[in-house]
Amino acid sequence: MRWLRERSKVQLAAVAAAVLLLLALLPPFIGVYQTQLLTYGLIAAIAALGFNLLLGYTGLLSFGHSAFFGIGAYTVAFLARDAGIHSMELYILLGLPISALLSALFGYISVRHTRIFFGILTLALSQVLYSLAYKLFWVTGGSDGLRVPRPTLLAGLVSFSGPGSFLRFVNSYYYYVLAVFAVCVVVMWVIVHSPFGKALQAIRDNEVRAAFLGLRISRFRWVAFLISGTFTSLAGILWVPLNGLTTPEILYWPFSGEIVFTALLGGFRNFSGPIVGGIVFTYLKTYAVATTEYWQLLLGVVLVMLILVLPTGIVGAVSRLADRLKAKGKS
Amino acid sequence: MSILVIQILNSLFYASVLFLIAAGLSLIFGVMRIVNMAHGTLYAVGAYVTAWLMGKAIALGVPLGWLFLLLPVGAGVVALAGFVIEPLLLRPFYRRAEEYQLLVTFGLLLILEDVIRFLWGGMPITADTLQDVVPIMHIGGLVYPGYNLVVIGIGALAAIGLWAGIYRTKFGVMLRATSQDRRMASALGINVGLVYMSAFAIGCFMAGLGGAIIVPSQAAVLGMGVDALILAFVVVVIGGLGSLQGALVGALIVSFVRTAGIQFFPEIELAVLYLIAAIVLLIKPTGLFGNA
Amino acid sequence: MDKPNTVDRRKFLSALGVTVGGVGVAGASLIAPQVVKAATEPAKGKIPDTPYKTGHMTFLTGPAAVLGDPSLKGHIMAAEEINAQGGLLGKRKIETITADEAAGTDANVKELRRMKLEGKIDLFTGVISSGNTPALGPVAEELSLLTMFVDGCTDFLFDVAVPNPKYTFRLTNIQSADGITAAIGAAQAWPQTRKIAHLHPDYSYGRNASEHFTLAIERLLPGTQVVSESWPKLGTTDFTSHITKILSSEPDLLFTSVWGGDYVAWYKQALRYGLFDKMKVATTLAFGVAPHALGKDHPEGVLAGVHSNYHFTYPGGDRWPINKSFVQRYFKRWNEYPNFQSEGSYVTLHMLKAAIERANKLMGGWPDDEMIIGQLEGMGFDTPSGYLYIRPDNHQGYKDAVTGFSKNNPEYPFPTWDQNRIITIPIRNITAPANWPKPGKGHNESTAAANWIKTTWPKSVG
Repeated sequence: MRWLRERSKVQLAAVAAAVLLLLALLPPFIGVYQTQLLTYGLIAAIAALGFNLLLGYTGLLSFGHSAFFGIGAYTVAFLARDAGIHSMELYILLGLPISALLSALFGYISVRHTRIFFGILTLALSQVLYSLAYKLFWVTGGSDGLRVPRPTLLAGLVSFSGPGSFLRFVNSYYYYVLAVFAVCVVVMWVIVHSPFGKALQAIRDNEVRAAFLGLRISRFRWVAFLISGTFTSLAGILWVPLNGLTTPEILYWPFSGEIVFTALLGGFRNFSGPIVGGIVFTYLKTYAVATTEYWQLLLGVVLVMLILVLPTGIVGAVSRLADRLKAKGKS
Repeated sequence: MSILVIQILNSLFYASVLFLIAAGLSLIFGVMRIVNMAHGTLYAVGAYVTAWLMGKAIALGVPLGWLFLLLPVGAGVVALAGFVIEPLLLRPFYRRAEEYQLLVTFGLLLILEDVIRFLWGGMPITADTLQDVVPIMHIGGLVYPGYNLVVIGIGALAAIGLWAGIYRTKFGVMLRATSQDRRMASALGINVGLVYMSAFAIGCFMAGLGGAIIVPSQAAVLGMGVDALILAFVVVVIGGLGSLQGALVGALIVSFVRTAGIQFFPEIELAVLYLIAAIVLLIKPTGLFGNA
Repeated sequence: MDKPNTVDRRKFLSALGVTVGGVGVAGASLIAPQVVKAATEPAKGKIPDTPYKTGHMTFLTGPAAVLGDPSLKGHIMAAEEINAQGGLLGKRKIETITADEAAGTDANVKELRRMKLEGKIDLFTGVISSGNTPALGPVAEELSLLTMFVDGCTDFLFDVAVPNPKYTFRLTNIQSADGITAAIGAAQAWPQTRKIAHLHPDYSYGRNASEHFTLAIERLLPGTQVVSESWPKLGTTDFTSHITKILSSEPDLLFTSVWGGDYVAWYKQALRYGLFDKMKVATTLAFGVAPHALGKDHPEGVLAGVHSNYHFTYPGGDRWPINKSFVQRYFKRWNEYPNFQSEGSYVTLHMLKAAIERANKLMGGWPDDEMIIGQLEGMGFDTPSGYLYIRPDNHQGYKDAVTGFSKNNPEYPFPTWDQNRIITIPIRNITAPANWPKPGKGHNESTAAANWIKTTWPKSVG
């Protein structure tokens, strides 16, 4: 945080714009496979960004964020199957309020507690959703899951069918997700730098003092939870068309573990940490699975080493390195 | 009637194993404030080690009755692993936020799952010879494996032993003191590091023992640990993290509800457990016997 | 629905073509449209010598590795055999990259795309879970990637997920045949059955098996009733309460589709509860795992299903030399016996080889995917399990369904089939014919096969 605060806002906007431009120019150079993998990465980044509002800024570790990713994904699947809706914009417009409702409900229950009890509560609630998705075979397709055909983009202006449609879809969808991603980043940036965001951090750092200052702590946590869950469910909404199918796996607790892993990998004390983490984790898991049948071992070792050696995550380590170099340059 | 008796015995049998796993999980949390995600996998290690040793022993022609001695040996191996894991992986994190400790054990879970597969391969390993050492019982017109009573007995003994160890020995006083206030315990001259290491090893021993006693009646299969972790979690959530009574009552509730679910509502066998956990959390978030 | 007419059960079973005793020659009941002869002539035209890349996805980790391990072994053995002859068309050596199906459906979709777009594979094969083929089939189609699924046999794949396949094929028998085969086996062996208990893993496979078994048994043995149902979660190893519940309902027959490590744990517990003395037991997958995963303590006389596909002891002896030699070579290579997955993935590569050779003979040079697909559609092939036919309309492999009764044979360190009681059923008699309406097209049954049974099967009497 500190290193970012020191820079002027103009400088920061310039860096962000440059990164965005770079991301926008990438697809022709990296080919269709990397483009779609990067899309997955951006989606994971949105999920982690939402998650980190709780962990990084509010100091609450949720071990049940799979619930929100999953509710986004399943809402889209139901809209496609039962309402015959095939427009991405409608998915988002209808999906977000439903997800927000669930986030509000789960948040209301969970924020009465902190620390490990908060984590377990969120875990248990997400597992209730998991078992429902798994058990209500005739509604959710059980372990088979639900298929979601490719939606149209931009209110039906861009649609995909016929030969070669997959390639066209990957390219268009990348830019679609990139745009949503950019909006998400800006919104989240505004949130954490607003008085509301500052209050969350004050509560995180010293709950007693914040209470003395007259902050209604549980109300703040609840709103943070609501925003966090809704962000993560937006990631779920965006994820389904790319994957083509949703199964109860994305509601199961190991998926929550992956979201936590993601935030930690990038560094949850930095605003950009979860973004970097989301993209890097997507690549890490994909290539771990591709290179060795002992991919679980590989991920486990990376996770443990990361916590031992890079406790502030990738962004934390890089920024510290940069600070040190700067200090040397000055002296 | 005999069906009822057998279902009660089945529930007690299942509760014994669940208690062993959950009590270890709870003990580790109570003393060290760590939720050990790798706990189920340590239970699986106990099962694999025991089944493997038993296969070796039978091949060597060891008299069958002696195989019972392998149960504590299997559990002991897991305890030894605990003695290695605690100083190596957990100790560096005591001063850091508890999120990190949770994640380290999650990493350990991933690692151990693959280590098991590397050492023992993908085929189930069985050790049911031991089951046949104990005679079959007759209840009404039905038969019941006597070995299950041995498991229930071990579960009961473990509960009593753990209770006595914590509430009736000097070590138990140190354990409870450390769990109440680490700094104060340290100031009173308690070797906190040693207490932590012992608590973790005892927790591992319990999980390993759970695996050791269950493997003769089932089989050691990949993925058994993750499955067990979830159930143990439900147990401690209901009973209260860090509470020994909670683990016992939670294990009994989960087993009896599960049996009732299987008997009367087969469709919702799985969901009913999570639902109970969620309801308990809503009413008393620290669990029936927990305190925040 | 019309009221089903009734027929005499014995006549019904014989109309279904059920053969007991394993005397029927494999595949004899099908009229072979195009039986492939082994090609010995050299390839025509110029063949590149670049490797032919295959991607094999199967369970390398987790509880289902008991099925994944044999699947990969069958694939590797076939690749080695083909490469020993110089490769496909004598030139292109088969290279294999593997992927772990246990990484989850989401990761599997990503991995399939990676294999095609980055690994540049020519063929995608393997896959065991019926939860994965409906996810991967559409992806393979959109990537225009030649795909030969070994298993993942759900009807849902070609009924709903990929109703008009172009690039996607599947070799093992369709899932609905599994429950129906078990029902026919049970009705044939134990016609006095009145009360039936069910025990199934709680996911789509268990539901499919239960539904189709029930549909068939209601017609084969009218008046039977379901007295108990249990749905343990997949991966359950404690079955004591389920077993007690089953015992308490005092059924004549237990039908179960529990498989793999779960089945091993289940039968060991059931044995100690005396379950096998109190009732008959019919299974769909007891012998589906690698044979050495089961012990000699497995009770005899259980209807031990193999996913209605293949057991290495059938066709036995010298009656079907292809099988005899396959089993011998497999044992020599891996020091164990094959299961139906081994056979399926072994056949996959040899069938591909045959299709490529035939396309080459017609046109010369290396055939493109369209031509290979043209040859695979409607292809008939002699495999270790018997005659296999790829139906052109849905790209699904069909072979006569087979099941048998467990027996301890001194030759093997694990239970095998009673060679005098092997049951074979012509597949066309137990599956929906080509172009039967699919779910959502005029009916809302879960599968085309379910609708077909309800519409066409009579009820038997006597």
